[in-house]
Amino acid sequence: MEVKIALAGNPNSGKTTMFNDLTGSNQRVGNWPGVTVEKKEGRLKGAKDIIIQDLPGIYSLSPYTLEEVVAREYLVNEKPDAIINIVDGTNIERNLYLTTQLIELGIPTVVAVNMIDIVRKNGDKIDLKKLGDALGCEVMATSALKGEGSQAVAQRAAELARENREFVAPSVFNGSVEHAIAHIEESIEGKVDRRFLRWYAIKVFERDEKVLEQLKLDGALMQHLEEHIADCEKEMDDDAESIITNQRYAYIARIVASAVKKKQTGLKMSVSDKIDHIVTNRILALPIFVVVMALVYWISMGPLGTFLTDWTNDVLVSEWAVEGARGWLEGAGVAGWLVGLVCDGIIAGVGAVIGFVPQMLLLFLMLSILEDVGYMARIAFIMDRIFRKFGLSGKSFIPMLIGSGCGVPAVMASRTIENERDRRMTIMTTCFIPCGAKLPIIGMIAGAFFNDGWWVATSAYFVGVIAIIVSGIILKKLKAFAGEAAPFVMELPPYHAPAASNVLRATWERGWSFIKRAGTVILLSSILIWFLQAFGVTENGFGMVEDNNDSLLAAVGSAVAFIFIPLGFGTWQATVGVVGGLVAKENLVTIMAICYGVAEASENGEEIWGVLQSSYAPIAGYSFMVFNLLCAPCFAAMGAIKREMNSPKWTLAAIGYMCGFAYCVSLMIYQLGGLITGDVGFGVWTVVALAVLVGMIYLLVRKNRYGEYGERLDAKKKAAVNV
Amino acid sequence: MLPLSLAEPRVPQSIAKITGKDEVRRHLSELGLVVGEEVTVISSLAGNLILQVKDSRIALDRELANRIMVRG
Repeated sequence: MEVKIALAGNPNSGKTTMFNDLTGSNQRVGNWPGVTVEKKEGRLKGAKDIIIQDLPGIYSLSPYTLEEVVAREYLVNEKPDAIINIVDGTNIERNLYLTTQLIELGIPTVVAVNMIDIVRKNGDKIDLKKLGDALGCEVMATSALKGEGSQAVAQRAAELARENREFVAPSVFNGSVEHAIAHIEESIEGKVDRRFLRWYAIKVFERDEKVLEQLKLDGALMQHLEEHIADCEKEMDDDAESIITNQRYAYIARIVASAVKKKQTGLKMSVSDKIDHIVTNRILALPIFVVVMALVYWISMGPLGTFLTDWTNDVLVSEWAVEGARGWLEGAGVAGWLVGLVCDGIIAGVGAVIGFVPQMLLLFLMLSILEDVGYMARIAFIMDRIFRKFGLSGKSFIPMLIGSGCGVPAVMASRTIENERDRRMTIMTTCFIPCGAKLPIIGMIAGAFFNDGWWVATSAYFVGVIAIIVSGIILKKLKAFAGEAAPFVMELPPYHAPAASNVLRATWERGWSFIKRAGTVILLSSILIWFLQAFGVTENGFGMVEDNNDSLLAAVGSAVAFIFIPLGFGTWQATVGVVGGLVAKENLVTIMAICYGVAEASENGEEIWGVLQSSYAPIAGYSFMVFNLLCAPCFAAMGAIKREMNSPKWTLAAIGYMCGFAYCVSLMIYQLGGLITGDVGFGVWTVVALAVLVGMIYLLVRKNRYGEYGERLDAKKKAAVNV
Repeated sequence: MLPLSLAEPRVPQSIAKITGKDEVRRHLSELGLVVGEEVTVISSLAGNLILQVKDSRIALDRELANRIMVRG
């Protein structure tokens, strides 16, 4: 018989480690239906008929965050055969809060007291037998990190599932509350699965909206139950939900007092606290952060990263793959156009993307280490007070860090932001940070127009950061985003040495989202672009063209190039470059080179610097760079935005906003900057650019008209005056 | 009663009251911040606090810290 076991526990309880330990590489990653919460499922190592379902990390079963809703709906509707509840043994009191809710479900449950090695090291003792008796379920000790006990827990859970015994939850609450719950149980019996009777009854007592909606109790009955609940509330002088919460904690405190012996009680400064004292110090926090980040980027983008990228680009892709395939195909006597398609279209196109993989993986490796060690959570905390000033929370910072590598995992990282407004705003702005693939564009412009000035790349990051700040301030004043950023509360996990398996897995998952697109979107578009630029209509009719200016690509580019005339780069080559950039930003340089008749360009397009210089003014070049940094990201990132927004309207809004914002900024740079440098004369577009500037400043400084809930503040004021 | 943001660091305090929206109070209660619970300010960064609650460390911003009243 196939057995389904759900894995539930608090964030930072070691759940991911245990899941990896149990399933090894037998994992399937997907999304929970309808929401963008990651769903991981796997089969137990050595027992193919036992399915382990990883639930999101949650603190309780209330339905107020996406993760809680997902976990709760799974447990109640899908009815797993057993639950493994992972409990952090070093923080047992808080972790048992979820346990008291899980055991009410009546599903066979095994509590795994995890991190038992640290508990022992601290000299604490946990009486598993006593704990189990009090909770009415099996309790076992594990150390997922050391691979201790996980298998035994899973086997025991499977046994319990097969026995299919009924589980009876202990009485957690005091007399009058238990009485009211018993009363509710009687009234709703038959309406719900017998197993879940107690759980539903407690939810009715708490007036849980979702459960009340589902049960559709008739008015008279509800009124009758309401009296019982109100009696309890009166007696205890508190609201029903708080009563339940407080009595759960009281019950846990009693269990812990009898089953857990702590060597040291009271306040003690742990090693983590000592590190935090320095790392989150008022004066040192930011300098330490800057040094850590500089180190991360130096390792991934510096000599080592560059060496790996160069080797991949020049040796692996160019020499081995492209030339190898060409020699082989030509040797086999394949038609010339097909050789071109395979070598110059497909392999070179996809290869351009593969070239970034080593750097990207290095960066993600560094960031995954910071995450596993526990420093990421501190970064969010440190940045919060700064980000709050322009309407974002500290949690928005992590996606932006990842965004400096690749926008796809960055957009996906926005999932950890609970508040929907904050999450949407983060998705809309995170791609403003120049990702790794935008660096060749910056390199091309810096080389062609500014003598390789170092300030060009630096200014690109500044443009990105300023774009985020400006967008934060402007968007926050719109109705859809109005209100304070959600309050910042976050558990800080204790610092610990990084676990190789966790770090490598996280690195791979992020890197894979980047690699995957090379095989899909980029493969297809490379074929399309190669076809468009190789074929065209000449006096000989339709066919392969010698001169790029005759190609279909040139025709399409010329038709829409006028859009970019006010920005200073209204040529078909630049237009095609922008479109190619949508496929993959790193493609832009290669494609522009193709347009200027250079078949094989180096990464920063050195071969076309000359023709760029003679075709565009430097200010137009800068405007071109900024437009490509800020406008819609590549298709893969747009796909990620679509998935995370989970709404066509918001996807369009996000991409439209980015394009519009990029157009406005580039217009101002070219028209106003050009007026100063003398490259552009005064004209209609100067006036438009000035109007845009004034409009933007107005949006920045205008008063916020909406209150915390999006209501209009001036309307409220009027009402207040009337009273 | 005084807000947690003004409480003396490293001295255990007892929570007397938590004000504010239900949603936020509920989340705080899941993390162990409930009336009667003992909480200690471990460190403070421009008003943002790191707290010890039970055996975990919770970071929270100044606005939230102002909503948690302790007996002092």
